[in-house]
Amino acid sequence: MNRQKFTLLAGLCAATLASGFGNAALAGKLEDILARGKIIVGIGLTNPPWHFRDEKGEMVGYDVDMAKILAKGLFGDETKIEFVNQASDARIPNLVTDKVDITCQGMTVTAERAQQVNFTIPYYREGVGLMMVAGGKYKSRDEMKAAGNAVTVSVLQNVYAEEMVHLALPEAKVDQYESFDLMYQALNSGRSDAAATDMSSLQWFMIQNPGKYADGGYGWNPQTYSCAVKRGEQDWLNFVNIAFREGMTGVEFATFSKSFETWFGVKPPEPQVGFPAELR
Amino acid sequence: MTYSFQFRAIEDNFDHFLYGLALGLVLAVAAILVGTLIGLLCAFATMAKARLPSRLVGIYVSAIRNTPLLVIILFVYFALPQLGIRLGKLESFVFSLAIYAGAYLTEVFRAGLAGVPRGVIDAGRAIGLTGFQLALYVISPIMWRNCLPALGTTFISLFKDTSLAAVIAIPELTYQARKLNTETFRVAEAWATASLLYLATCLLIAAGLRQLERRFPKF
Repeated sequence: MNRQKFTLLAGLCAATLASGFGNAALAGKLEDILARGKIIVGIGLTNPPWHFRDEKGEMVGYDVDMAKILAKGLFGDETKIEFVNQASDARIPNLVTDKVDITCQGMTVTAERAQQVNFTIPYYREGVGLMMVAGGKYKSRDEMKAAGNAVTVSVLQNVYAEEMVHLALPEAKVDQYESFDLMYQALNSGRSDAAATDMSSLQWFMIQNPGKYADGGYGWNPQTYSCAVKRGEQDWLNFVNIAFREGMTGVEFATFSKSFETWFGVKPPEPQVGFPAELR
Repeated sequence: MTYSFQFRAIEDNFDHFLYGLALGLVLAVAAILVGTLIGLLCAFATMAKARLPSRLVGIYVSAIRNTPLLVIILFVYFALPQLGIRLGKLESFVFSLAIYAGAYLTEVFRAGLAGVPRGVIDAGRAIGLTGFQLALYVISPIMWRNCLPALGTTFISLFKDTSLAAVIAIPELTYQARKLNTETFRVAEAWATASLLYLATCLLIAAGLRQLERRFPKF
């Protein structure tokens, strides 16, 4: 084989390979996932009610249920999911390097992150709530606000923790603890009148310990939670958004509603039949 | 080393550090005063002829000395209120440190008492002193002299133990350092400053106690 012919052949091979890969890339993430027969979901393991293992070792939680909506939509089978356990700082890198198809891991939407990944439509709005012991001295945030500096609030030590509490209770004394369990112990032992903590944790605690805790009835410091996909996969993003929307407001609402109630203890608002509310 | 030191955040918050240090000293002094009282009572109780006081003191001392101070603090702060005993935040810490100090100081004073020569006590009896006079004018001065060095070490170690108050959100020096850490991420600077403040304070206390030792009458 002379040199010219070899070059030509090599060129042809390269062109064929390139076009082959090119086709795969053109087909896009959605086709890849359908061809693979399962969806790969980046998630954590230890954050109830978002994602954790139950007594049987199965992955459960609100994030997991959102992934199940997708698997059911893609394959008609909600078990076709491979969960990839990732630390929260791996959420964006794993998407960018295609290690996972989607990340559903209680991820706060920020404009800064939206430059690195595409966010889906939101599925929860996290905030801070006031957790109190049921039958305690105060019944609500209003009563605590009226009591001024007689109220002590325990909170996890953090930047601006004091300012955060003072947004809701301007005069309250703030005790900052170094871990969640100390913060809850302070509440349980009456060292604090309320614990300022994530609304979702508060609701989960109330489900786990029926009758023991009460909600201060006030939420603030809003943060939107969304799943995220790799940037530029518009078809895939559209699919996820439609699946989520129809879960939260459409044909899958019954399943979604049950899930929401399981993890947060309250029913999501019933979708209004008639003119679609989201287009109002 | 790629870490670059920036003490600006420390300078801006130095008053918080000093406040924390002062609070720690106040807590230590309060606990030491109560602890010394407990220690003296317990040590003299073991001198009684009756067996019972000695037994009770033995139980108290070994129970406290074999429990971590942190556990005592958490028990008094979190568990006692559920059992109906509710002390304020600072009071609960002083109480914890005082009963802890009491156990160690009992042992210190007991050793001091054991070092009082038999002959001196007999001499006191011989000139007709009552038991109380004997304890006050003869035994005590010699006992104090004997235990001064050990007392110094115990006081310093009790002052350092006030750093545990940070766990129950008492804003002393360690708490202030930790808070600055989370707020500014000047990790090395915050802990270095706290360490130096503790070190300087302990050295000062030690120097003061050495002076006291030097001036205390020798027998």
